[in-house]
This record gives sequence, structure tokens and C-alpha cells, in this order.
Amino acid sequence: MSHTIRVEGVSKKFDLQLDRARSIKELITRRNRDASRNTFWALKDVSLEIEEGSMFALIGHNGSGKSTLLRCIAGIYQPNAGSVTVDGRISTLLELGAGFHPDLSGRENIYLNATILGMPRKEIDRRFDEIVAFAGVEQFIDSPVKVYSTGMYVRLGFSVAVHVDPEILIIDEVIAVGDEQFQRRCFDHLYGLRKQGVTIVVVTHGMGTVETMCDAAAWLDHGELQMVGPAPEVAAAYLERVNAAEAVRRFDDGAHLVDQGESVVSPRSGKAVEIVSMELRDRHGQVVEAVEHGADMEIAIRYRLQEPMSNLVFGIGLHTDGGVAVSGTNTQISGVASGRLPAGDGEAAFLIDALPLIAGNYEISSAITDQHVQHEFDRLDRTGRLLVRRGSHRAGVGIVEIPGRWRLSRPT
Amino acid sequence: MTSPAKVWVYRDLIKNFVIRDLRSRYKRSFLGWGWSLINPAVTLGIYTLVFGFFLNGTAPLAGNGESTSFALWLFSALVAWNAFSSGITGAMQSFLGSGHLLTRTYFPPECPVIAGSLTVALQSFIESSILVALMVVIGNLAWTTLLIVPVMVLLTFFAFGIGMMVSLMNVRFRDINYLVGIFLQIGFYATPIVYRIDQLPQSVGGVNVAAVLKLNPMTHFVTSMRRVTYLLVPPTGVAWLVMVLSAVFSVLVGWTFFARRAPMYIEEI
Repeated sequence: MSHTIRVEGVSKKFDLQLDRARSIKELITRRNRDASRNTFWALKDVSLEIEEGSMFALIGHNGSGKSTLLRCIAGIYQPNAGSVTVDGRISTLLELGAGFHPDLSGRENIYLNATILGMPRKEIDRRFDEIVAFAGVEQFIDSPVKVYSTGMYVRLGFSVAVHVDPEILIIDEVIAVGDEQFQRRCFDHLYGLRKQGVTIVVVTHGMGTVETMCDAAAWLDHGELQMVGPAPEVAAAYLERVNAAEAVRRFDDGAHLVDQGESVVSPRSGKAVEIVSMELRDRHGQVVEAVEHGADMEIAIRYRLQEPMSNLVFGIGLHTDGGVAVSGTNTQISGVASGRLPAGDGEAAFLIDALPLIAGNYEISSAITDQHVQHEFDRLDRTGRLLVRRGSHRAGVGIVEIPGRWRLSRPT
Repeated sequence: MTSPAKVWVYRDLIKNFVIRDLRSRYKRSFLGWGWSLINPAVTLGIYTLVFGFFLNGTAPLAGNGESTSFALWLFSALVAWNAFSSGITGAMQSFLGSGHLLTRTYFPPECPVIAGSLTVALQSFIESSILVALMVVIGNLAWTTLLIVPVMVLLTFFAFGIGMMVSLMNVRFRDINYLVGIFLQIGFYATPIVYRIDQLPQSVGGVNVAAVLKLNPMTHFVTSMRRVTYLLVPPTGVAWLVMVLSAVFSVLVGWTFFARRAPMYIEEI
């Protein structure tokens, strides 16, 4: 395998006091200042290799050093230690409209930007119409770019960057700014470039992009390389860490699904049958607010009976946060009889194996009715929140994942 | 790849930077390009009034043996001085102004500095042309007028080398910007532009001022410009030597320093 980009033991240090006045006087008088206190290591001993013709993702939270690494690869920053070897012509798209001069027209800026990316003038002449058409700014091509919308800015920037025939394309998170349709076209185009053998390095927060489009990925945290390998594995490991961190944070916050804990005197009391609270629990019985797609979980209805009741029906319902009804069921539909219940506090839990909901925000409703589901004793309408996260295995798009398999027949 | 080779690859970019600078400079102004002529014209007018009339400055007889014009005598020197001072400040501004680009895309950092110098060189070319046109009007022309080209080219390189040096240093120490301003102000009067070196007192407090002034390379550039355009005699051998050496030395030192240090300085722009 040939490696187009080889990063070896790269470290990059920044001076934190750059925005302070730097003067010759300072140089003389503060010669021996504590250097370590004023510096910040954005990258620490990072080594990785990117194969020719692959699509490589850099992931990590904000400030993890992704963009610094991109700049080192692009040759904009010189590492303080280590080396970056790049074999091929690089085109970069690191910031929205970088290289655009606001007073110049779209046409003038295309020429300026494309030459910055190293494209010869004749070549620009030849591809000019293509660049404009891809960006969809034909109408405004002779207007100064300062009147362009953000979307037009991004589209033009992207269009120039991908049309300069790079061998290596380096893209920061800029694509995320465009609308859905444009993003799709961008990815289609990137896919096409990759098939032509262009090596693409992207920084992204969209794990979907990483899993579906990238061959390999590297995960950075505080400037240190955590993992590098096949994209789905790295993405899964990263997500696991993020989810775990969030669970800890939420637990610390003492957040609950519905703020109607037992310690609080419920204003709803007085009813014969009352829903006290709803709880989401993971497979270990821990109360959670977020669940991963594909994980086992349960939704519990905690209720209080002032007097003994017979044949109650417990039901739950799920809506998306957009209000689309996803599913609803109750004990009667499921053929579970509650029988005679004494007065006091009880619980009805709906157990879900391998949650089929796709990542997103959902709302939970619950109700307790009589045996004919005619009289409603109590109801909590879409008051519970369920946050479904992307899990470790890949899911499709939409609201639910329909269980199923593929069968492929080869053309005969 | 060596630094000059990299720059050569990006020659189209330099051209586009120049075009950008020229196009954006006077965009949306009513007089547009007129401004690039009005500024030197006003300076020339003020200096002629103050130094020529108020202070009774005189010009030597022009090369054609009949005219004397303090304004043109002054103008021939101002063209040279403007090329020098704008060359330095233009390079600095161009480099600083490209900071947002340099931290977001890769291209040789020499490019904006070269483009800044070229933009100024173009302005110098226009001013020189006007000077020649005026000389044509008063009929003060000879083969030496052609020597404007080598003199101005050497001067542009001289300013370019210094420009490279200071534009990089300015990134780390913003004091350089002010120091350059002061240096240029002193330099203007330490060069025989508004006065004649042959009319200075023999010694001031025991110091031979004329000899000291000749240590300033700009004295030779300015004097040479005057000789070839106004007096219509070629520059002296010493002047040629000083001009060539200072141009070569300035570019060599400036470029080497720049190429070595610029990559580490870029993130600080």
C-alpha cells in the first residue's frame, strides 16, 4: 500500500499569549519568563498514515487538535517536532470562503482562489463554467461576494476547492454549513473524486459521514491520538466514550425523566388512580434519560392507587419530537391482565429488547384506563422525553429500523 | 523544492494578488485610479511651494542647457524615494493583509510580499512615465533617460529585500511598523531630495555631512535618478557599484531570512 500522507511524531505548540502586545521591550525584559506556562500543546506526538485514494476522517471534540493537524498536513503550520510527508498536490478547504476578497466579484474570486490552490490560469478558464454551475451562482457571478449568502459562499468555496484537480483534498467542517441538498451533492462529488483516486481528509462531527463514506479514521483527544483504524470501529469507540461521558454528566446533574419524584408532593394527588412518574431504565435497571439505538431498555409507569382496583389497563405511546405517532400499545393489546391490585404504589414496566428507534428525540405518553379502555383514570400526554443515541451498530435512516435481512440474486 | 522554485510554481497567484490589490484599491471611489496620481502630485506641489519658493531652493541647470525647474528636479528624486518607501510599506501591508489567507490555505508566503512590491513597482512605472512625459514637454531628453529602467529596477529590488525582512519581523514585533515609519521619515531628510548635496556646508560641527550622506545607499539612487533624467548624464561608477551591491545584498539577505523564518511565523499573523 502506498501512503500519500505520512505523519510521524508530530507535535505542535502554540503560544497562548499571542494576542498580548509583543514588543521588543518584552523580549528584553521578560527573556526568562516561564515558557511552559504560556504554551499549549495542540498536538502531542501524533503519527498516522493515510493511504492513497482513501477517504480519511479526523474525529474528536472541539479543541482536540483536528484542525491543527489538518493545517500541519496542508503545510500551513510547521510542527515543532516530527515530520509530515505529503506526496501529491493538495487542495484545502479549511474555512468558509477563505481566500475570497469581499469587494471582488465572484468571477474574480474564482480566479484568485483557484490560483491560491495552485491551478494554472488556462485550466481555470477551461473549468470556469463547471465551477460556477456546481456552486449554482450563475446569476451573481459578477456581483461582489460580500452580497452573497452564507450558503452561496460555501458553495463557491467548495466548488473551487474540488475543481482544481487535487490529488489530495483537505476539508474542515465547512460542508456542514450548506443545506441538505448541497451537502448531498458535495458528498456525491467527493465520492466521485475518491473513485478517481483522490485522497480525501475530512474533519467531521457527523458520525454518519464517517461510517458511510470513510475508509479510515483517527480520533484525537486533547492533541493526543486515541485510536486510528477502520472508520466504523473508530467512530464506535468515539461514540462510546462520548455517551459514557454524557451519562456521567447527566447523573451528576441529578436529572430525571419527569420531575414528579416521590419526594415532591404531587399536585395531582386525590385521584383514585394516579400516574406518579415515568422512568426510562437501561438493561441494568438504572434510570437514564438517553438510550442507545439497539439497546435493551424499559419504560416504567409508576402509579399510586388510593383504593384497590381491578383489571386496569396500562398503556404507553411514543411520538417523535415532531409529533409523529410512532407506536402505542397497552397491556390489553399485549394480552396481559393486571388482575386485582391493592391500594398503594406500584409499577408497570414495558420492556423493550433492542430498541428499534433511530437516533433522535422522542416523547413518551402513558395512561391508565379501565378494562374496556373507555374510561381514562389518568394520563401523561407526551411529557416524557426519550433521547435515542446512535449506537455501536449502524442503523438506517428514518424513525424505526425495520428488522429484516437482504437476499441478493446475481444477474444471470 | 527551494523557495524561489516554489514561488515560480505560484507565479499566477502573484499575478492575481497584484490584480486583486489594484482592483480592490480604488473600488467604489469616484476618482478611482486618479487617486494614485493625485497623491504624488499634491506632495510635489507642497514641496515645490515650501522648499522652492518659501525656502528659496534652487535647481541646477537641466541637461538641455536652457531650462531650470525646481519642480522637475524635485520630482525626479521623489519618484525614486516613493519607490523606496512605498516598496517597503507595500510589502509589509501585503504580507499582513494576506494573514487570513496564509493561515487557511497553503501557498509560499513570499507570494504576497512579491505581489506587494510589484504593485508598487507598477505605480513607480506610472510615475516615471509622467516624469519622462514632462521632460519631453520641456525638451530635456537624452539617451541617459533610458537608464531610468536599470536604476528603478535596482531600487525596487533594494526596497523589496528590506520589505521582506521587515514584513516578517513585523509579525512578531508590531513595533517594527512604527520603527519603519520613523526610519523612513529620517531617511527622507537623510537623502538629498529637497536640498542639494553640493550646497551643504563643508562641515557641521566638524562632521563632513556630504560624506556621511554618501554612506546612505538612497543618496546614490536619488542622485542617479536626477542625473539620468534631469542632468542627462549617466550615474557615476561608484553609484552603480553601490546600487548593484545594495540591491543584491538586500534581496539575498531578505529572501534568505524570510524563507527560513516565515513558516514558523505564519501562525502569528
